[in-house]
Amino acid sequence: MDVQKSAMETTVAARLNDLVRERGQLLPALWRVMEEYRQLSPELLEAVSLFMDIPYAEVYGVASFYALFENASGNTPMYVCTDVMCALQGAESLKEAAKANLGTKVTVHESACLGQCDYAPAVWSGSHVLRRATADDVTAAVEAITHE
Amino acid sequence: MNEVRRLLPGKQTSSSPISKERLVERGFDRALDYALALEPEEIISTVTKSGIKGRGGAAFPTGVKWSSVSKAEGSVKYVVMNADESELGTFKDRVLLEEDPLGALVGLVIGAHAVGAKKAYCYIRGEYREVEQTLARAIETLRHGGWVGPHGVEIEIRRGAGAYIAGEETALFNSIEGKRPEPRVKPPFPTTKGLWASPTLIQNVETLANVAILFAHDLHWFTAYGTQDTVGTKLVGLSGHIRRPGVYEVPFGTPMQEILDAPELGGTVSGSGRLGAVLLGGAAGTFLTPQEVKNTVLDYPSLGAIGASIGSGAIMVFDDTVNLEWVVTKLARFFAEESCGQCVPCRIGTKRILEMMETGELWTRTSDLRALGQAMKDASICGLGQTAPVALLSILERPELRHHA
Ligand SMILES: Cc1cc2nc3c(=O)[nH]c(=O)nc-3n(C[C@H](O)[C@H](O)[C@H](O)COP(=O)(O)O)c2cc1C
Ligand code: SF4
Repeated sequence: MDVQKSAMETTVAARLNDLVRERGQLLPALWRVMEEYRQLSPELLEAVSLFMDIPYAEVYGVASFYALFENASGNTPMYVCTDVMCALQGAESLKEAAKANLGTKVTVHESACLGQCDYAPAVWSGSHVLRRATADDVTAAVEAITHE
Repeated sequence: MNEVRRLLPGKQTSSSPISKERLVERGFDRALDYALALEPEEIISTVTKSGIKGRGGAAFPTGVKWSSVSKAEGSVKYVVMNADESELGTFKDRVLLEEDPLGALVGLVIGAHAVGAKKAYCYIRGEYREVEQTLARAIETLRHGGWVGPHGVEIEIRRGAGAYIAGEETALFNSIEGKRPEPRVKPPFPTTKGLWASPTLIQNVETLANVAILFAHDLHWFTAYGTQDTVGTKLVGLSGHIRRPGVYEVPFGTPMQEILDAPELGGTVSGSGRLGAVLLGGAAGTFLTPQEVKNTVLDYPSLGAIGASIGSGAIMVFDDTVNLEWVVTKLARFFAEESCGQCVPCRIGTKRILEMMETGELWTRTSDLRALGQAMKDASICGLGQTAPVALLSILERPELRHHA
């Protein structure tokens, strides 16, 4: 019943309100929740499951398949491409730079090819791409997020 | 001059990529008006005559696919643009969608009309957020023109979420359907049972852009470039040790060496300045020796003769200081992580290969690697498992690529 709903369930339901409650909308639903909370915790998946009327195990099975939904910290993710082409252009030092200045608001993920090889090395902040990134660019991006 | 600009807009193109003016400047409004007035059979016949082959990797004849979907039983049909582009060293669809998003969309609308679909999806990888916004605005432009919407075809963008395997067509359908993006066993093929078990036409971004320029012009214009085997131009993505990394459009049949060296293309090898090897086609591509680069042209028969293929059009360039064992180890890790795990040869095989690479056994366990590669090729459900050993086996065939520090 409505009165028993947790606050989280209510917020998630509000966020998903205009989605059609069918299986084909599960991925868009997960993205909406991800964008709001920057993570998909068991509680959030439970809320999606209730709203979409899809069993929790199914929702979990789908969500856990995708790399971009892995961000348990809920911090702003920073994806450093460490794949072949970016590694040739010094991606390792970018990863170090990001980790050295990390703070508590950013989580660094290593990423497979981001499709930016013409601008290697590349880093993706979840909204935009740092092209031909330098250690200073990465440090500045981490700081910008920290002071948001 | 080797660089051609047909799929990519000419350098003098001045309109905004998402504008109505761009539709006119590129002749895409003309293409739509012309194609949508044709009977579906006439469209399909033109696409078949054009000789367009799929640009997503498998080079399947596009006209044949359109004809199958058109003939397949079913009142509901779908068309899908595959913009998942997660292949190693591959970024041509990104550049194409950044520079000329309307082209591929026009191809999609024409495809929908040809096969009788009312609903289309653009499946784009989750990391291409800025491209996704461009695509959304371009769809609005087509909506204003009346080509997209209730009286034409509805187009919905679906954002992937970081899964290489979701680019495989049947895994992509499962992803859209809200299931785990695991490939399905084929047959049935997408042409008869695709999205929600309905006949579905799925094409790569670049394939659809070819359709748009075909109808913006005519067969005669379209077939002016290319070889006897393959008509038209190809987008290649140059990266790594190359002076001018980027996407270039070249006619099929262009010598590989010229792609690397021409001043308006790759502009020669960087790094040490001496070519060590090229990895052609992506993570499941083939390593070419400098000699092979010298002797081949960008075309299926020429490359096929040395066991290579164009794949996604990725041309990854390594100078002679790169230890390719490091590269294949990275590829092995990628496949082990991205295998969906559904079938044993791929799930176990990719792990075993990774272990052998990590313990430096590339040159000592060659017969084991060959046997394992064959088993994976024969018994995996999808292209990932079938082709994961290809790059590694191509090195074994080319002992001159062995690194001597
Ligand atoms: C593991 C795997 C990943 C794939 N990823 C893509 C991709 O990102 N984009 C693409 O167009 N095709 C991809 N394909 C090929 C598709 O399955 C399909 O053949 C293609 O979209 C058909 O379009 P085309 O005929 O225009 O090339 C992939 C195939 C496999 C086996
Ligand atoms: S070959 Fe690999 S990726 Fe493809 S279905 Fe089998 S386990 Fe999954």
